[in-house]
Amino acid sequence: MRVYSAASEEAVRARDLLKDWAGEGFLTQAQYQSMEQETVCDLRRTNIFLRIVLFLFTLIILGAAAALFFVVFLSPPSAQTTSVFLLIFAAMTYGAAEFAVSRFRLYRYGIEEALDACSVGFLCVGIQAALSSGTDFLVPAAGVIASLWIWHRFGLPYAFLAAMIFVIWLSGYWTSSHSAQHVAVAALYAAGLITVAAVRSPHRFTYLNKGYSIVEALLWLGIYLAINLNLSSVDLLRQWWVGPLTTTEFPRTFYWATWVLIWCFPPAILARGVRRKDRFVIAVGAIAAILTLVTNKPYLGWQRHTWDPMLLGALLIGVALLLRRWLAAGPGGIRHGFTAPRLSDKDKHWMNVGSAALGLVSTRAITPSPQTVTPDVHFGGGDSGGGGATSDF
Amino acid sequence: MTLLTRLEQWKVQGILSPEQHALLAGLSRGEPFSLYLELNLLLYGGILAFVAGLGWTVSTWSQQLGDVLVLTILSAMLAACFWYCFSRAPGWSPAEVSSPSLAFDYLLYLGSLVWSVELAYLENRFHLLSAQRDLYLLATAGLFFFLAYRFDNRFVLSLALSSLAGWFGLTVSHWPSHQDATYRQYAIVYSLFVGAAGAILQRRGLKPHLFGTYLNIAANVLFWALLSGVFSRQDYVLWFLALLAACAASLAWGLWRRQFSFVAYAAVYGYVGVSSILIRDINGETALLSYFVVTGVAMLVMLVQIARRFGKEA
Repeated sequence: MRVYSAASEEAVRARDLLKDWAGEGFLTQAQYQSMEQETVCDLRRTNIFLRIVLFLFTLIILGAAAALFFVVFLSPPSAQTTSVFLLIFAAMTYGAAEFAVSRFRLYRYGIEEALDACSVGFLCVGIQAALSSGTDFLVPAAGVIASLWIWHRFGLPYAFLAAMIFVIWLSGYWTSSHSAQHVAVAALYAAGLITVAAVRSPHRFTYLNKGYSIVEALLWLGIYLAINLNLSSVDLLRQWWVGPLTTTEFPRTFYWATWVLIWCFPPAILARGVRRKDRFVIAVGAIAAILTLVTNKPYLGWQRHTWDPMLLGALLIGVALLLRRWLAAGPGGIRHGFTAPRLSDKDKHWMNVGSAALGLVSTRAITPSPQTVTPDVHFGGGDSGGGGATSDF
Repeated sequence: MTLLTRLEQWKVQGILSPEQHALLAGLSRGEPFSLYLELNLLLYGGILAFVAGLGWTVSTWSQQLGDVLVLTILSAMLAACFWYCFSRAPGWSPAEVSSPSLAFDYLLYLGSLVWSVELAYLENRFHLLSAQRDLYLLATAGLFFFLAYRFDNRFVLSLALSSLAGWFGLTVSHWPSHQDATYRQYAIVYSLFVGAAGAILQRRGLKPHLFGTYLNIAANVLFWALLSGVFSRQDYVLWFLALLAACAASLAWGLWRRQFSFVAYAAVYGYVGVSSILIRDINGETALLSYFVVTGVAMLVMLVQIARRFGKEA
């Protein structure tokens, strides 16, 4: 059912790993060249920057072309005509994506991805234009189905993320109860998680593992966000900066049940990730654990203190250093199959890119507005670099 | 054919030694599984959260805590961080040097951030250089450049470059009028200065691996400045020509050095700049939409040609 053959995708994975290992010095240049020749595949790829730019320009062309069609031929169009043509555009863009892959063998090239994204967009807007009130739920339902199909067919992880977002939209049509919406979203994600967990087991050492890993991580994160009422509330900004969520917005039992669950989920996710040695699931487990610590006080209705971030920071640093020390003390620096040193050239590359970018943004991030300001003391800023050295008291 | 099967074949063919085969087969199965990236992210997040809380606490409670206590704590932290870094650092080398430990880079980063917090506190409480506050930024940038080159640290180099940018920005803020034009000129001077400094340091063999950081920052600042000139209604022709020249240079550099971020900069900034000029005189939806279709297709064809010829995989 996938648009790419298993052999081609396995060859792509092999080439990526060989390049990584050669960069890390596990292979000599002669070995790398010899092995690379045996993993040649017909898929056409490009680097990440050109991929993003190609994606953007394809979106511009498709958006402008569709708008031009309506302006030139159907001005002013009726809702029904608009709907019919948008559905035709959806079919055409999807067909174009299939053609681009089958004829030109594009693989993560930006163009076929933008065509896929537009096909979902045109489909949803087309259905929206055709529907009368009362059947609006068909829009997110169609979005879920189309996004899942594109994820399944093309293997694009963000198509699965789009499907998850459509599910949130869909839940709004089922019930007006916020509690029921949270439960419905979490239940659907849990059903997806069970399915993915069952399906991915035989593919642990194949090219499919990474894709399933990302999807499982997204589902875990989705479930966590759905049950953490201090994160998934639509009124998120108000509660963070004005005051904590009141328990009266949700039934008391439901509210406290979710509080228990946000403490249960992070260790469960981490355990799953560690057991399977799954990088994305481990990352989501860590993120969930940090979010639980950050949202615990608002959950309990306790006041935040200015030193809370310091305690969180000290905890994170302590965990990292202890883990590093514990791993290093194992035989050969390995414990239970885990090690601290770098084994991938990609990790170094991402650290180099990330450290330069994060170093720039961190000057703003480290100086939040004070919670309570005494009359003659004000400490803002850091808005001109220098980590706050230009701030005003 | 799975990767494990391929590895087995390569071992049988003699391309891989049995030891290499065991290592690579293990790595492809995630054995051992490296937590390098996760540990680094935890440390980075921890440092950031810690300094955020520190700044927040100092700003909120400075009166209750008192200047002496605040400065003692900040100075002690600063001294501890820098003592650790100077005492544990390997000898200086102009080439790339690995960190002696996982925590090393982050303690240096923590020390740099604490320095900034303490400096801000000192100035704002005691107004030591009240009329010459920009000097703090310049001095901070100088210190951060020294630390970045002494300890080979990209985090601190980024702090140095952003502090230097702040110094340029604050200087502009003192100008009473024509701020946009002046700001633009200073941004261009900044980007040229940073680009030239990076190039000179690279040519002299001083941490040449850091050149990419200089160049990316310089390119983005330069493009933003030129674009803001193109967007202005008056005297935009010169800015437009400068933008075209910068795009050509960025494209050439990106293709020559296989650094495709520069190709992307040239494509996006160039398209935005050229479009902003051309669509000024276009009236009507049809002409405007036609413009985007035609130019979008032209850009796409050009980028596909570049991708086919130069940008495979990377």
